[in-house]
Amino acid sequence: MSRFNLALRLLWRDSRSGELTLLILALLIAVSSSTAIALFSERLQSTMSQQAAELLGADLVITSPEFIAPAWLEQAQQLNLISAHTVEFHSVLIEHDELILASIKAISDTYPLRGVLKISEGDAGVESIVHQGPEPGTAWLDRRLLSVLKLKLGDTLAVGEKPLLVTKIITYEPDKKGDFFSFSPRVMMNNLDLLATGILQPGSQVHYYFQFIGAAQAIVEYKNWLKPQLNPSQRVMDSRENRPELSSALNRAERYLGLSSILVILIAGVAIAMATTRYTERHFDATALLRCLGLKQQEILWLYSSQFVVLGLVASAVGSALGYCAQVGLFYILRELLPQSIAPASIGSLFFGFIIGMVVLLGFALPPLLRLKQVSALRVLRRELEPRQPAVWLVYGLATSLISLIIYKYTHDLKMTVSVLGVGIISLIVLGLLIMGLLKLIQKRLDGMSLLWRLGLQGLLRNNRASISQILAFSITLVAMLLSFNVRNDIIDDWQQQLPKDAPNHFALNIFPNQVQDFKEDFKQQHILGSEFYPVVRGRLTAINQIAVQKRVSKDSQGDNAIHRDLSLTWTESLPNENKLQAGEWWVRLQPGLVSVEQKLAESLGIKLGDSLAFTVGSQQFNARVASIRSLRWDTMKPNFYMVFSPGTLDAYPSTFITSFYLAESQKELLNALVKKYPSTTILEVDLILQQFKTLLTQLTQAINFLLYFALMAGFIVLMAAVYVTLDQRIVEGALMRTMGANRRLLRAAQLIEFSVLGLLSGVLAVLMSELILFALYSQVLHISYHPSFYLWLLVPLFNAILISLVGCWGVRQVLNKPPLLILRGL
Amino acid sequence: MKTQINQVTNSVIVTEGLAKSVLTSEGVLHILSSIDLIIKSGESIAIVGESGSGKSTLISLLAGLDKPSSGAIFLNGKSITMMDEDGRAALRNQLIGFVFQSFQLLPGLTALENVMLPLELRGDKTAKAAATALLHRVGLAQRLTHAPKQLSGGEQQRVALARAFVTRPAILFADEPTGNLDSKTGANIIELLFELNQENRTTLILVTHDHALAARCHRTIRLEAGCLV
Ligand SMILES: Nc1ncnc2c1ncn2[C@@H]1O[C@H](COP(=O)(O)OP(=O)(O)OP(=O)(O)O)[C@@H](O)[C@H]1O
Ligand SMILES: [Mg+2]
Repeated sequence: MSRFNLALRLLWRDSRSGELTLLILALLIAVSSSTAIALFSERLQSTMSQQAAELLGADLVITSPEFIAPAWLEQAQQLNLISAHTVEFHSVLIEHDELILASIKAISDTYPLRGVLKISEGDAGVESIVHQGPEPGTAWLDRRLLSVLKLKLGDTLAVGEKPLLVTKIITYEPDKKGDFFSFSPRVMMNNLDLLATGILQPGSQVHYYFQFIGAAQAIVEYKNWLKPQLNPSQRVMDSRENRPELSSALNRAERYLGLSSILVILIAGVAIAMATTRYTERHFDATALLRCLGLKQQEILWLYSSQFVVLGLVASAVGSALGYCAQVGLFYILRELLPQSIAPASIGSLFFGFIIGMVVLLGFALPPLLRLKQVSALRVLRRELEPRQPAVWLVYGLATSLISLIIYKYTHDLKMTVSVLGVGIISLIVLGLLIMGLLKLIQKRLDGMSLLWRLGLQGLLRNNRASISQILAFSITLVAMLLSFNVRNDIIDDWQQQLPKDAPNHFALNIFPNQVQDFKEDFKQQHILGSEFYPVVRGRLTAINQIAVQKRVSKDSQGDNAIHRDLSLTWTESLPNENKLQAGEWWVRLQPGLVSVEQKLAESLGIKLGDSLAFTVGSQQFNARVASIRSLRWDTMKPNFYMVFSPGTLDAYPSTFITSFYLAESQKELLNALVKKYPSTTILEVDLILQQFKTLLTQLTQAINFLLYFALMAGFIVLMAAVYVTLDQRIVEGALMRTMGANRRLLRAAQLIEFSVLGLLSGVLAVLMSELILFALYSQVLHISYHPSFYLWLLVPLFNAILISLVGCWGVRQVLNKPPLLILRGL
Repeated sequence: MKTQINQVTNSVIVTEGLAKSVLTSEGVLHILSSIDLIIKSGESIAIVGESGSGKSTLISLLAGLDKPSSGAIFLNGKSITMMDEDGRAALRNQLIGFVFQSFQLLPGLTALENVMLPLELRGDKTAKAAATALLHRVGLAQRLTHAPKQLSGGEQQRVALARAFVTRPAILFADEPTGNLDSKTGANIIELLFELNQENRTTLILVTHDHALAARCHRTIRLEAGCLV
């Protein structure tokens, strides 16, 4: 116990004297950033799955083209899952000689399991919330249908052969599927009426959705039980996996944050290792004395490691608290992208950062600390006796295994862990060698330089390893910051540049054929710039050369997305403007039965010229032969299509028209007039969507930068640690130089050179690396044009040099202020 | 009055009522008090005294490494008590050479670079030639590019001697230059020190515990508890 008291006393003395300040700071940064990220990702995960459950309408959904086996429902019951099901299909409705393709949804009594329905009971009616769908014999309609079919509430509507009483207008359903263009107006009815409609014949295109909710464990169990029994046309979706668009962006950001926090941990770890190295070296003498006084090696080790454990516990606790606050900040930055209420955090995540702190301390501080164990008692007499350096495998092995564990925790994926680690290690080695080469080069050139420059650069070369770590730490942090800064700006710029000033900013969907002429005239009268009007038939690609498409795609590919929803099918006589023919020929004569396929989709599905494609529209099927492959640009803000047919192919099906047009800010009020005049038409304001996209991107990058500030701080701690490692030596040398007549100006100038070269080097390296990565990213992944940003090439190294000089010179200020007398006192 | 000014102008070092005291936790500690010294050009002086008597403190004041609490110091007729730290640094560079007990070579520089350093600090363009010549003179012609770590203690002290003499200083301060060496090596260093001293007509101020060595100097000054005796 008295030993422990001694340890505590020594610790107290050392931390009071500032010996441990850097170590504590580095630890605080590592712990607070990892706590923040752990809490953030956990709360984000659970918030997102809550939301996703609502969007799915359930925790788990089976989609199937036919009713599923009764055994599946029994199994669900046994697991105490509550189930509901809906049946969805398209049907043409005819009333008062008007005809429209509607999307019918027949629901079971328990629907909706998650979320609510919103309805309105009058024309201008207020919305109200209900928790059950329509009763048997009644139907709820999209407001659009009422106006098109000239119906009002209380009328009857025939769905197939079954007349239904129209009782309510439906305005919201939680599990609405599909993209912007798939809004066929909704008819919601009870599934007890389904048989009577007579629509569900074998071969008709119907989707069954079986929805389940229950305990998380039971859901997982059910899913695992189900998976091997699914046939290729059936899918199971889980609120934890199948997420809406926004959350996939958040998800990616979360992963990126996780990886950046590893960066922080790594840099902080380097700082910890350096600070411990200095701590160790300063304790050689005291240790030798203790050994002389009879302490055993084991006891020495215990004495120091118990100090570090106490230090780690305290710093980690404080760091966790700081991390909690930081995480609140992260959610604040992202507040507009997230639901109002955020799921609470669990104790486990709160402890994660704490554990990381202890582990990082162990991983990075232990190897240098072990040297103290080896201090020889003889050192009391012969000061030059230094204990061996720690074994290389120990230093790097411990750090690497630690970092890989943390990467695994963020990725949950062995392959990704290995590749992130591999890429990381390789780039560290390459960069390290590069910096070493540069330093060697400087060393060679040193002879010809003036005294001042030699003194300055020698400061950099004196401690090669420390200089390399400093430059690495700063360049990597800068690269990460530059990347996140550039990517956001360039994506937004690229969008804005590519869109001509008067690019369409509105889409009009569901224009009826007889309205097209009116629309065109209105546009002309109001001087509205519009694109072409394209007819649209909603249909689904089902087979390629008589083989079901499901068998041709890999999961989550572009093709996979395209075959699980209705596509907008169109026809034109001539090739649309922004399209380019890549293979085959455009039809010249009236030649029904041909189709031109978009290039990327064709690649993803393996569609070739001459293939026969089968489509279903409503319950009918038709075939078309692939006559050409087109490439097109999706970001033109004009209607674009995967499938363009030759005129005449789609004549048998009801169609609506789509167009896009440009409204200047001053013309916005025309929108109201249009909406009033054409109530059945859906108008999308693209600028709102663009604005949302921009906010999304901005906030995500803000969140990422938030973390990179931690990395930057860690970088400065590395700088300070490196400065302190050499501080004693610097003071002696500075005093000696001044004894020989060097004035302070010279010494200060030399320091300035040392630190600005350090900053300049890491800045230039960072710019080089980030531009390389950006170039690869833009040309290979994002497909936007790469512009070198020259001003950054200048600014970043310059700014970095200034910042590092300031901090560095401040760190070594003692060198100038300690009187040279010191040197005579023999230290 | 006239004689005193004469003495001041003919002498390299003159001190008047020199005193040094420091504030410690136990109160004011008087390290040196009322030291009056006149050292003529070309003289060699040994400072002796018990450990803790203030020898190192005295030469650090004489060399302008520290400021006295009271009294005045004139080097070559100029009062250094009025100068600031950088002014004294410049004066040191012009006038003074040092040899220390623990050699004090810069570990990052080679033997040659260590010797060149004081000349380079002056902006002397012939630094390399002069330094090489002096290293030849001290018998280290073969070791020019060696780092201090690669040299023995005696060799390091010879490099330090070369560094001290390379600027042809008017005054050389040596604080127990053989304290870290065995007696034979020490004797060699002392030989070299006196030879170089004679060649350069340097004023030598030597702190030592060795009576034989003190006897070789023109004069011996004894310090006892911070006072001249
Ligand atoms: N800055 C200081 N603060 C407190 N005491 C000091 C300080 N500088 C010197 N002393 C004290 O002044 C006395 C003289 O020190 P000095 O180093 O000049 O002795 P010395 O004669 O050179 O001794 P040695 O022969 O052991 O080298 C010592 O007692 C020392 O402890
Ligand atoms: Mg002394």
